[in-house]
Amino acid sequence: MYKAEVRGPLILGNKDYRQITSDIIAPIDNKTPGWWKVAMAVAVTMASIGFFALYYTVRYGIGTWAVNNSVAWGWEIINFVWWIGIGHAGTAFSIFLLILRQKWRTSINRAAEAMTVFAVGCAAIFPAIHMGRVWLAFFIFPYPNTRGPLWVNFNSPLFWDFIAISAYLLISASFWYFGMVPDFASIRDRAKTKIKKAIYGALAFGWTGSTKEWLRYEGLSYVLGGIAAVLVVSVHSIVSTDFATSVIPGWHTTLFPPYFVVGAIFSGFAMVMTLMIVIRKYYHLEDYVTDSHLNAIGKILVFISLIMGTAYGTEVFMSWYSGNPYEMFTFFHNRITGDYSFMFWAMVICNAIIPQLMWSKKVRSNITALFIISLIINLGMWYERFNIVVTSLAKDYLPSSWTTYSPTWVEICIYLGTIGIFTIGVLFFFRFIPMIAISEVKSVLKPTEITEKH
Amino acid sequence: MSATHIIGVFDSKHDLLAGIEGAQSKNITIEEIYTPYPVMEAMDALKRKSRFTTAAFIYGAAAVVGVLSFLYWTSVIDWPINYGGKPTNAFPSFIIITLVLTILTVTIMSLFTFSVRARIYPGKKYFLPDERSTDDKFIVLFDKKTAGAGFEAISSTLKANGASEVYEKEF
Repeated sequence: MYKAEVRGPLILGNKDYRQITSDIIAPIDNKTPGWWKVAMAVAVTMASIGFFALYYTVRYGIGTWAVNNSVAWGWEIINFVWWIGIGHAGTAFSIFLLILRQKWRTSINRAAEAMTVFAVGCAAIFPAIHMGRVWLAFFIFPYPNTRGPLWVNFNSPLFWDFIAISAYLLISASFWYFGMVPDFASIRDRAKTKIKKAIYGALAFGWTGSTKEWLRYEGLSYVLGGIAAVLVVSVHSIVSTDFATSVIPGWHTTLFPPYFVVGAIFSGFAMVMTLMIVIRKYYHLEDYVTDSHLNAIGKILVFISLIMGTAYGTEVFMSWYSGNPYEMFTFFHNRITGDYSFMFWAMVICNAIIPQLMWSKKVRSNITALFIISLIINLGMWYERFNIVVTSLAKDYLPSSWTTYSPTWVEICIYLGTIGIFTIGVLFFFRFIPMIAISEVKSVLKPTEITEKH
Repeated sequence: MSATHIIGVFDSKHDLLAGIEGAQSKNITIEEIYTPYPVMEAMDALKRKSRFTTAAFIYGAAAVVGVLSFLYWTSVIDWPINYGGKPTNAFPSFIIITLVLTILTVTIMSLFTFSVRARIYPGKKYFLPDERSTDDKFIVLFDKKTAGAGFEAISSTLKANGASEVYEKEF
């Protein structure tokens, strides 16, 4: 009879439960590595530059940016969509794979969720600062006010965006935090110093691991997982409707919601791959984040890359097939050729062509190649957002208002700043939080590994 | 008031389940089980049931009604705005915001429910019968008064089913 093992052991090295706890909390117990300090210094510098640029914007106004009447959305919206996209991976990873009962997610979900929280936090900076008078940002909250009371426009995708992202941030952060509670308890109960016991004890919220707690914990995970799966799809669909409900050529298309959702998951998975390769290399967690895990992410990326390529092709085809001269102009004279053709081709090459290399098992098992491809995908996804935002706005219906756009130092520095903030978050995560979900990994140790002993 | 408890320690889920079955077949009442990761069979053995999903559904249903009523009130009663003669009750465009606000409400309420029902909250004072249960051991706890058997009987049953250690503790 044909017999094949569907998947090998998820954890290598014949570990027992105690070994798993020790391995995963080792980075917290050990001294801070030198590379961590260097990376933190660089990240803090970048974040400081970003904060200065944010201060400059608030002090002197949006006039310090290169946005103008035609290109009213510049780098800020590009970066907002880019960060939100990256932020999608955590939830996509955790939640889609949780509800599909994919047990290999257990080694990766914690890092992916951490990344989500930091990325969504970075994303939130951009629309807030783009309001110009950021100190009036609270106007967007729907509360009885002294301005009428004039309610916010509940029919506007921009308001939907605000609520969706707030909900997304809350749900991702709580999903992440409550996932960590049992692990904090593990650290608390193994801590040798009083300070450590007190800190992780406070973070563990009095967790004991009784059946009463686990039962509700599982209930909470599945409820949050179920609703967050809907939220992942709706958040980026809503971001896409910010564009698609307009009548700007290149934006006015029903393809946008699935195109944005898939694109977001694409960039997020690529960022997960980047992070996991760093984690496994610098913290020697190869037994937990195995070649098989990276291979699986690689396969998903190839599949999503095909969808992205199809979406790019469909957009171009539909502009021609519609016979609409404005759509055709945007795609054929302002994207494929024209001032911004570099961005278009960079997008196609980075997102639709280079990831195809991962069809080869040789590439999928070469960690350096995977690392480079994951960075290329993230770059490509940034180009995609530039391509969408700037090309459509720079040249629309009225040639007299045509213009070009390139960012000022302030815009570039704000973007650098968010990369710095994200990196600081990730580095703190590496240092003080179990990077792999200890209790979840224990639950996927192959039953044979335990029962064999008897 | 402290009471004497009997604590059975197991090294694996496999042994734990055998131990639970052994104890229950002799009508010994288990007070609680502590595990390093969720063990569904242990929850079933103690007949633990959660109505978490039902609660979440109720929150969702209430949120849908609440949000739609609120939108109707703001758009039709409190401050109607005439957008080129379009109806003020623009129901289809309320759907997305209703969905998102429902998700937000269910999230907040579920977290609150979890915190209350599982008694997991900041600053909570806790007690663990055996600290190894958050690391690598599976702990079965018996209250000596209500277990329905003495230490010797419980110990021999658990050990016969793979317990690595059985001891008494006062707390």
